[in-house]
Amino acid sequence: MRNFMIKSVAVGAAVALALTGCSNDRDGGSGDSASGDAKGFAKDALIGVALPSKTSENWVLAGDLFTNGLKDAGFQSDVQYAGASTTVADQQAQITAMVTKGAKVIVIGATDAAQLSTQVSAAHQAGAKVIAYDRLITNTADVDYYIAFDNFKVGQLQGQALLDGMKAKKPTGPWTVELFSGSPDDNNAGVFFNGAMDVLKPLIDKGDVVVGSGQKDVKQTAIQGWKAEGAQSRMDSLLNSTYNGNKTLDGVLSPNDTLARAIITSVKGAGKPIPVVTGQDSEVESVKSIMAGEQYSTINKDTRKLVAETINMVKTLQTGAEPQVNDTKSYNNGTKVVPAFLLPPVIVTKANAAESYANDPKLAPLTK
Amino acid sequence: MSRIKELQKNLFGGTTSNARQFGMIFTLVAIVLFFQFKTGGLTLQPGNLIALTQQYAYISVLSIGMLMVIVAGHIDLSVGSIAAFTGIVVAKAITEHNVPWPLGIVLGLVVGALIGAWQGFWVAYVGIPAFIVTLAGMLLFRGGNQYIGNADTVPVPKGFREIGAGYLPEVGPDTGYNNLTLLLGLLACVAVVWRELRARQVRTQMEGAEPAPLWIAVFRMVVMIAVIVFVTLRFAGGRVGTSFPISGIILAVLVIAYSFYTRNTAGGRHIYAVGGNSRAAELSGVKLRRVNFFVMMNMSVLAALAGMIFVARSAASGPQDGLSWELDAIAAVFIGGAAVSGGLGTVGGSIVGGLVMAVLNNGLQLTGTGSDMVQIIKGLFLLGAVALDVYNKKQGRFSLIGSLTRSFRPGHDAAAPESTDANLEKQPAARS
Amino acid sequence: MSTAPPLLEMRSITKTFPGVKALADVKLTVRDGEIHAICGENGAGKSTLMKVLSGVYPYGSYEGSIVYRGAETKFSDIRASEHAGIVIIHQELALVPGMSITENIFLGNEPRRFGRIDWKAANHKALELMAMVGLKEDPDTLIKDIGVGKQQLVEIAKAFAKDVQLLILDEPTAALNENDSQHLLDLLRGFKKRGITSIMISHKLNEIEAIADSITILRDGKTIETIDVKADGADEDRIVRGMVGRDLGSRFPEHDSNIGDVFFEVRGWTVRHPISAERLVCKNSSFTVRRGEIVGFAGLMGAGRTELAMSLFGRSYGVYESGQILKDGKEIQLKSVADAIANGLAYVSEDRKAVGLNLLDDIKTSVVAAKLSKITRNGVLDEAAEYREAEAYRKSLRIKTPTVDEGVTKLSGGNQQKVVLAKWMFTDPDLLILDEPTRGIDVGAKYEIYGIIQELASEGRGVVVISSELPELIGLCDRIYTVFEGTITGEISRRDANPETLMKQMTSTKKLATS
Repeated sequence: MRNFMIKSVAVGAAVALALTGCSNDRDGGSGDSASGDAKGFAKDALIGVALPSKTSENWVLAGDLFTNGLKDAGFQSDVQYAGASTTVADQQAQITAMVTKGAKVIVIGATDAAQLSTQVSAAHQAGAKVIAYDRLITNTADVDYYIAFDNFKVGQLQGQALLDGMKAKKPTGPWTVELFSGSPDDNNAGVFFNGAMDVLKPLIDKGDVVVGSGQKDVKQTAIQGWKAEGAQSRMDSLLNSTYNGNKTLDGVLSPNDTLARAIITSVKGAGKPIPVVTGQDSEVESVKSIMAGEQYSTINKDTRKLVAETINMVKTLQTGAEPQVNDTKSYNNGTKVVPAFLLPPVIVTKANAAESYANDPKLAPLTK
Repeated sequence: MSRIKELQKNLFGGTTSNARQFGMIFTLVAIVLFFQFKTGGLTLQPGNLIALTQQYAYISVLSIGMLMVIVAGHIDLSVGSIAAFTGIVVAKAITEHNVPWPLGIVLGLVVGALIGAWQGFWVAYVGIPAFIVTLAGMLLFRGGNQYIGNADTVPVPKGFREIGAGYLPEVGPDTGYNNLTLLLGLLACVAVVWRELRARQVRTQMEGAEPAPLWIAVFRMVVMIAVIVFVTLRFAGGRVGTSFPISGIILAVLVIAYSFYTRNTAGGRHIYAVGGNSRAAELSGVKLRRVNFFVMMNMSVLAALAGMIFVARSAASGPQDGLSWELDAIAAVFIGGAAVSGGLGTVGGSIVGGLVMAVLNNGLQLTGTGSDMVQIIKGLFLLGAVALDVYNKKQGRFSLIGSLTRSFRPGHDAAAPESTDANLEKQPAARS
Repeated sequence: MSTAPPLLEMRSITKTFPGVKALADVKLTVRDGEIHAICGENGAGKSTLMKVLSGVYPYGSYEGSIVYRGAETKFSDIRASEHAGIVIIHQELALVPGMSITENIFLGNEPRRFGRIDWKAANHKALELMAMVGLKEDPDTLIKDIGVGKQQLVEIAKAFAKDVQLLILDEPTAALNENDSQHLLDLLRGFKKRGITSIMISHKLNEIEAIADSITILRDGKTIETIDVKADGADEDRIVRGMVGRDLGSRFPEHDSNIGDVFFEVRGWTVRHPISAERLVCKNSSFTVRRGEIVGFAGLMGAGRTELAMSLFGRSYGVYESGQILKDGKEIQLKSVADAIANGLAYVSEDRKAVGLNLLDDIKTSVVAAKLSKITRNGVLDEAAEYREAEAYRKSLRIKTPTVDEGVTKLSGGNQQKVVLAKWMFTDPDLLILDEPTRGIDVGAKYEIYGIIQELASEGRGVVVISSELPELIGLCDRIYTVFEGTITGEISRRDANPETLMKQMTSTKKLATS
């Protein structure tokens, strides 16, 4: 019986070997992609785009633009959003799947920029180029490029807009303000905040600008996950704790439009006059709010431009050339300085809205 | 009885087979083949198999513990939060307090054990339902994660990453394959043969029980060895520097150890006894509290381990770690054939259940299906898998209970056993 | 009367489950206004037949025809049969414990007025129905607060709320004590006078004799015979022969007691109720057991027999107050079930499904469950040893099953009880406490279980038997203690035991002279 078994086992092993054949990633085949740095790749190669979950219109728009733009450029595209509840794990799996499918360039709008290094390395080793889109991927040497709007500049513009807005209402200080910042796991949140503080800090130190609640630290002001309800409840409690007397609130530094609207909702709910509130992203509702005189400003970071520049970068990589960058010093991700291409942001208030959105089919009608 | 049926009964169980598990293995094969075809061969590529193993290892570690919790008649909703909490504690300790990473792993397991003791205390000694205790734990430890981590993402060093993203080293002569993975495959083959021989030996010691026919044993062995050889060559033949992942090895060790524990020891039996009928177990001398305490504590330790594996794979601990892991683990356990009311289920089944979900997920992603559709399909699949089982039970075809307890006497089932007149009144009554 | 057409005629009913014929060509004829008993061993097909009748198994799922009031019925479900006035009361009562009597009586059948439930009318009607069944309770009382006997009455009242014409009772007295049983039987007689026909499934031959007009005996899914009691008389032997297919001879096997010394003694055992601490469920109870002796505990339901047994068995019930347990002259402490097992005690519970067995287990797993250490080698369960042990019990106790891999749910009540006995014999106990060891078991299996009990005693073990059936205690035990309200009220030797004296002591606290 034992003999029979051993024989059968041998047969089984042989069958399995035959099934597997010699298809082995170790011999030939894969070498060219791993060392094909300067060679470029096929014109119809697969380009992967991994974006965070569909929680803001901008990401949805970006996804659509990528799908169409890459197709027009002749590439195959695989555009994926992370799931709503299992964001990081989902994105990891999606990037891995793109690598398996042989994507030549993977554009990543990171959900958590610090938790993708394993996947990015795998992509790099498989010969794919990795472009960090909008959010810089940290703790890995395998990010090839970073493309984004100049976020420090965004912060500075927000800080300046806040001052301008308050001065317009009340020419002399001191002005009382509250500060909000974005999600702490988003690398950009700190950059925005630091940019804004670059403008505001000297005035706070002088006493011209007063933070009513005293909460000036980025950790105190952070809103986890960029969630509107988080901003609203923080504003509610600030109003209750600090502004329940006669103290007036002149301005609120808000890092984006979603939070700005939540802050305004909170203030309106408390029956207080609406302060100067900044924003970012040019979301439809916020543009309406600006035109209605509620929110003071937003930032126009034209997603169209950013996606177009990213696709240009992919096209350049396809030919094997080195894509254009304009900052090779500032963006250190903890392991290396990532070459970056930065686009300039534009501040938008009621005054220049019509002009800024003239080319935007969705926003232009709102400004008339 | 037809040969097919005989095969079905004997192929995948040692002594008793499990219809749902059997069905799930076929579903798994079908899904793999479907996506292998649909993706033009990507599914079974070495790189994809390796990635799949890494992605799924931590969920499977959880589902081992969850299986035991569910068998004992409880549920644990807090595993994701515990994983996240442990992850941030370990990451902070290593990165900010210069704890050497191996010590960090020990620290993580200790943290898991402490949390487990806390939850086990409330469940076993105070008698609060595990649903409530772990719902509280879910909030408690999620908050703990944010409190300690300030919602920051904290990176972990290279050495630590090995447990989630590491591979076996390349040693020995250049065979075109990863030699250590080949060795593992060989060990697995030997183990399969040894187990088969041993099972037959045990069976022959049982007076009155015939072992399965030889051709079935051989067939089963040939199939299993063919699968192992195939999988081994796939894993060993990945890109140079990759192999069967370390996290996969951790999982395999745990699966073997816990399968053995739940099947072959008194402690394991007690868990099933408590879940099947806690009062009967108590009156048979089972220490109810101790069993409940153990399963809850064990779950938290495994959750801590899963959390560390994920952090290692992600190279950092982040505030979103562990979100809805409990749901994945619970789904795997139920797809794998466990009963909601406890007392039924196997570690192997849960692993297969998890694997089915993982392959489904992976295959859908490879075909470029968006995460919205992936969730919808997975949800329907979970419902369908369990509904099919319930339907089968109602139709009196093969029920889970029936198949678990079905006799191991090929050829005798068609004839009505002497006692069937008795169960006729009982069984339909139980169903109606 | 013989010329009148029967109320119900079930003709050639055949019901097949996958693989097995549950009923084969069964016929049942029930005359209008009679009490018709159906007897048969467990598994003979009685319940299946009643489920066919009441539409639980709908028309089309069986062969044969049912003629009710002269017309063939085609019930699609239980509601249809209820509509026709056929109401079945199952062994497991279908009441909601957290609802009141009124709510239960009208559950699914609520009197409505303008779309909402008219509770006033409901309560009024409930009182009427309760009076009919002789239930004196506040209709707002919750079901969980009344005893099982009264719950049974609520079930019947519920049937009347549905305007019943043919009442089917499945083992109605199985869980009732003597008084409640008697009341129920009287009630059935009363219904008969009012023209309501009843079908009663029962094991209790004395009850059947007392009440039935006709008796139909089923065995192995076939009709054996129908006895017209008025014409033929109810001959117990004939019924038993029909049920088991052979003569039983005596109801108890031959047994020569070989009684040794006292080895187990309980002194002044006092236990408090687990929830209401002021109540004592065991009051200063003392008793002894000798080696090789079968000791009976007689008492009415709720007298505290089970509570006494369970509190001794590792304090599984109530809160220990005082008292000593001595084994072989030395005091032992049994603080947990594990202690009790280690000290050679075994307790076979009265409710084998709820607390005796894990119904998910197979036979072999159940047999070894109480002493896994016996089949553990180096921390690992020896499956071969487990199988061998179970197989040995299968043979010695004649458990009817193809293999010990079979699930315990597939066994009949008697065989399940044998598995439970095997489970405790496996622990090799010195003292076995058997709580209602033959409840819900048919005559043939009872005989076998008595044999096992006697065999255990012959091996020199002490056996304590708790039972509500006095003939059983008198037939089986060497000595009987009577229990009333948590106290042992008397001790009677086999010679002196008769139902009257036992009953007297079971219903009063006054201690009679001990023998």
